Amino acid sequence: MASNISVIQIILLTILATLCALDAYLFAGFQLSKPIIAGFLAGIIMGDMETGLIVGATLQLMVLGIGTFGGASIPDFASGAIIGTALGVVSGKGIEFAIGVSVPVGLLLVQLDILARFIAIYFTHRADKHVERGEYNKMSMDAWLTLIPYGLSRALPVGLSLAFGNSVVKLVLDYAPDWLMGGLKLAGAVLPVVGIAILLHYLPVKKFAPYLIVGYFLAAYLKIPMMGIAIVGLIAAMIYYKNISNKVAQPVGFDGNENDEDEDEEE
Amino acid sequence: MTKERPKLTKADIRRVNLRYMYSSQLGWNYERMMNLAYAHAIYPAMNKLYGDDPEALKDMMRVEMQFFNTSPVLLPTIMGVDLAIQNDAGTESKEAVAAIKTGLMGPFAAVGDSLFGAVIPTIMGSLAAYMGLKGNPIGAILWLLVACAIIILRLFEMPFAFKQGKKIIGSMGNMLQNLTESASLLGVLVIGGLIPSVVKVIVPFKLVIGKKTMDIQTEVLDQILPALVPIALVALAYWMLGRKHMNSSRVIWIFLILSIIFYSLKILGVPTA
Repeated sequence: MASNISVIQIILLTILATLCALDAYLFAGFQLSKPIIAGFLAGIIMGDMETGLIVGATLQLMVLGIGTFGGASIPDFASGAIIGTALGVVSGKGIEFAIGVSVPVGLLLVQLDILARFIAIYFTHRADKHVERGEYNKMSMDAWLTLIPYGLSRALPVGLSLAFGNSVVKLVLDYAPDWLMGGLKLAGAVLPVVGIAILLHYLPVKKFAPYLIVGYFLAAYLKIPMMGIAIVGLIAAMIYYKNISNKVAQPVGFDGNENDEDEDEEE
Repeated sequence: MTKERPKLTKADIRRVNLRYMYSSQLGWNYERMMNLAYAHAIYPAMNKLYGDDPEALKDMMRVEMQFFNTSPVLLPTIMGVDLAIQNDAGTESKEAVAAIKTGLMGPFAAVGDSLFGAVIPTIMGSLAAYMGLKGNPIGAILWLLVACAIIILRLFEMPFAFKQGKKIIGSMGNMLQNLTESASLLGVLVIGGLIPSVVKVIVPFKLVIGKKTMDIQTEVLDQILPALVPIALVALAYWMLGRKHMNSSRVIWIFLILSIIFYSLKILGVPTA
């Protein structure tokens, strides 16, 4: 059921990609840059929500643990999900193909994010100059102008690859061998483990190892859905919070400034 | 003593608060990171305090233009304390403001990034992805709602911090620390459940012994431990990430290439639904 992508769809998807990129700089919180959200919205635009969700969900698992710590640039799987979903729907090649497209796209696009953030240095220097001259409104304008490189870093690649990508993709697909297509399909299934592993590096997994096993046990043997597992986790977290809060309550000084030296600080 | 300095009102704080709300990391750059967002948001309050003394205003704005980086969710608290101090002491607080900003941004980044950058995305992302893999949008919508709730809650931070001034730093630090730790526990438990639920990779290899064919996956691996292959793959990725010169992008590339190789060799595969 291969079809063509309409101009309106290309425009909407380009706007979506731009908004996903700008969310971090403006409200820093609508989570639009998360692949599952971007894929979900791209799916709605393409009239195939399910494909968008599945592509987004798979990519989401790959970046689960990759946060924007200290401003680190991370694979841009939001744009990846948008391009992958769109080309997946129009090529009619299905979800595995969509995922296969989105992974390399996301990995390559992160370079443009880095470039945009370098360009922003220029504006911070301009703002310095405007502060020295007491032109504070121009200082604010410099801050707003950084949205241009941020926005273009996504709008250009997404717009261009959607405008020209379809014919290129069709050409590639006609000649793509099984080892590549099957391999990409397997990669879609395997890559979430990288996201999970990254996450385990950030979470205090050694300290909470028993709870990791509890979660595994509930899912693998009792077949409890994720929501149910989250509820068990919430209960455990509430009990734990109560316990540690009671423990800390005594040694706090009057001004609350001194951090109490906990002797129970496990490595 | 010169003439009375103007004092900040609730309306001033509200204005700065709203300005920060929509310019959280505006102008983020590699050199000084969140400095432009901070200076842009706080400017109306600075103008109110030092508007009639251009040199003082410039001096204090220079301080606010210095390197700054922390969690955008917790930044309003720091800005509230910053404003409380300046409201009390004016330009004499210059060094104190610089010191408090640099002193707080590290710990606040550590707590805020792990809570809002890792733990909540882990829990909500796991749920959303788990449901999304089945084509169900509820998880994604739920995450959007949680994100909106956090943005709304953020609005109360700065007025609260301004009112409490310096004294909230100690008490709030403790509470956030405990909250982060408990939420991490939840995150770890969810991840434990996530591995067998969403990673569907099997060994399609079938061993032929005489007349008998043995399905490695169902007759051997599943008997030892369900989801053994996913667990082994997570362990491999975990180990690789701990190596030197490794980062997430490189590990993803390596896994991508290995997937193509292992698929061709028929060692790993995707279960046919």
